[in-house]
Amino acid sequence: MGDATRSTALVALFIGIAAIAGGYAAAFISGGTPVWAAWLLALGIRVSLAAIMILGAARGRRGIGPLKLPFAFVALVLVIGFGAALALPATEGPLSTLWLGLPARAAIVIYGVGLLPIVVLPIAYALTFETQTLSAEDVERVRALARENQAAIESGATEPMDNQRRG
Amino acid sequence: MIQTASVSALLQVALPNAVRPAVVAVGILYFAVVLGISVWAARRTRTARDFFVAGKGIGLVALTVASVSVSVSGFAFIGGPGFIYAVGLGAMYIVLPAAVTNVMGAWVLAKRMRLLGEARSLITIPDAIGVRYRSRAAQGLSAVAILVGIVGYMATNALAMGVVINSIFGVGLGWGIWIGMGVTLAYSASGGILAGIYNDVFQGTLMALASVLVFIFVLQFGGGLGEISRTILAHDPAFLGPWGKLTPLAALSFFFVFSMGSLGQPQAVHKYYMLRDPLQLKWYPLLKTLGLVLVLLLYFSVGVGVKAFVLSGRLAPLASPDQATPALLLSVTPIILAALVFSGVAAATMSAANSFINIGAAVVTHDLPVAFGRRVKNELRWGRTVTVLIAIAAAITAQRSGTMVAFLGIFGWGLFASTLVPALAVGLNWQGATRAGAMASIATGLIVTLALETVAYWKVFTFPAGVTASAVAMVSSFLVFFVVSWLTRRNAPTEIDPDVRLVMEL
Repeated sequence: MGDATRSTALVALFIGIAAIAGGYAAAFISGGTPVWAAWLLALGIRVSLAAIMILGAARGRRGIGPLKLPFAFVALVLVIGFGAALALPATEGPLSTLWLGLPARAAIVIYGVGLLPIVVLPIAYALTFETQTLSAEDVERVRALARENQAAIESGATEPMDNQRRG
Repeated sequence: MIQTASVSALLQVALPNAVRPAVVAVGILYFAVVLGISVWAARRTRTARDFFVAGKGIGLVALTVASVSVSVSGFAFIGGPGFIYAVGLGAMYIVLPAAVTNVMGAWVLAKRMRLLGEARSLITIPDAIGVRYRSRAAQGLSAVAILVGIVGYMATNALAMGVVINSIFGVGLGWGIWIGMGVTLAYSASGGILAGIYNDVFQGTLMALASVLVFIFVLQFGGGLGEISRTILAHDPAFLGPWGKLTPLAALSFFFVFSMGSLGQPQAVHKYYMLRDPLQLKWYPLLKTLGLVLVLLLYFSVGVGVKAFVLSGRLAPLASPDQATPALLLSVTPIILAALVFSGVAAATMSAANSFINIGAAVVTHDLPVAFGRRVKNELRWGRTVTVLIAIAAAITAQRSGTMVAFLGIFGWGLFASTLVPALAVGLNWQGATRAGAMASIATGLIVTLALETVAYWKVFTFPAGVTASAVAMVSSFLVFFVVSWLTRRNAPTEIDPDVRLVMEL
């Protein structure tokens, strides 16, 4: 399950980057950048950012566990934010309705893409920190292995590696 | 790009006589606090580990504020608002990624780098690449890439400091460069990263304070964001479109480079080693994101506010977009607020310069010798010596090379992103990544960035609208990393030490 999550995230990351590459390549087509190039870039950015976050957050057999919801929410925010900016007609003018002081399309991007993830992701990170990211036991496992390695080096059983010589 | 815009704006600033005493007084007070912190830190710096990663570590709040401080430069105060003034809300795509980059960095890098520091006492980014791939060559290659990026950043920061100090004290650009670099050098060489961190705490606090106060002032002066928007919509509705006056491809390109690219910025990533207790990472992304939002309030409010004030005739038309912040400060804000922001700009440039000096010194005294299988015997003494040499070289480059400084400043962010993100950020989370893949990716990022930025700068080739050298280099580096790792995948299982594997699996 855990490996499956990471493998899927890696494939998604590759696809996302390939989509971004496709978007840029399309800009070189003679006759101007096609409209779909921006859509490809928006899709690639969304997929690659979500994929690399999942790759970092996946934890053994647990995968991303309860982080599915916040990740899905942020992916949705990016879909709606970039999608609305690309798809909605430009109607900004003196009589535009303002949302929290900005015209609708700008408000969706600034408040949606720029602020909503702040409310969700760092809180989700903190709330799942011990179960999903790092516990005191994890730290102790790493320290114990470091002590074993150091003892092996000091007893002459192992050659020190470059980054184990420093005190 | 970032520092250069700030510099060009401030080059045109001449403080009115009525404002100068207050600005000079705040400036002197600012430098006095910086020196006081430096003397305190110098007394606590006794080993190379103290010098490069602050010894036993830094507490959560101090590290967070320091990290915010080095993450923004003078661009957030001068060039950024000018960019919004010129192209509208499209310029926001440079800072919008801040909503996800800090927590993304925490998931992808922070835990693993902090635990690698625990397992191997690592002190640099190339150290992490070296142990991940069990490769001195990969460590050396990433060190070279960082050094090339630092040359650009340092020269532009030196020039920016000179310009700010000249604006405050009127000592001339040359003396401004040497005074600014001298003060930064004094605390970098004596107190190393410890002095840097606590000066960053002071400087970050100053920047946040200045930013919040300017934000409040602009909203009050403009009658609220709604009134400001109405004024702009009446004259220039495209300014408040979701892409501003940029093409969607250009705006999204900024978002990609400044989001994914954040995972390769050594001045921010290096900080993960310094947290005293790894478990304190729990609140790090939240605190840092909130801190960044505060510091970036000025970026948005001045860019949009000044546009409305100029359109409504409350401010004279600007000579250039980069004049947005100086024009607002010198025309309508209270003097003390102008003084605070000028000190904030000085703080931003010094903070960035200190961080890059320290990272550059570590590359020269630690990573490059390791790459050649050697060790420097007294890393602390050599660290201080190289710190002095880097600072002097940066000051001379800033003073003598004219337009070349602007060129050097263009590619720092993109170079770090394209050379480090795949090998470091993906590599620490994918056991199938190979040494060959990492080295090919770093080399691709380095070569493609330098080649494309050079041809673009000298106008040998013009990219289509929305395509940047940084973005193309980062995408190329990613694809090469995946393809070469896949082609050499048989080697992957043998290239990871057991303790590194444990850190990657946690």
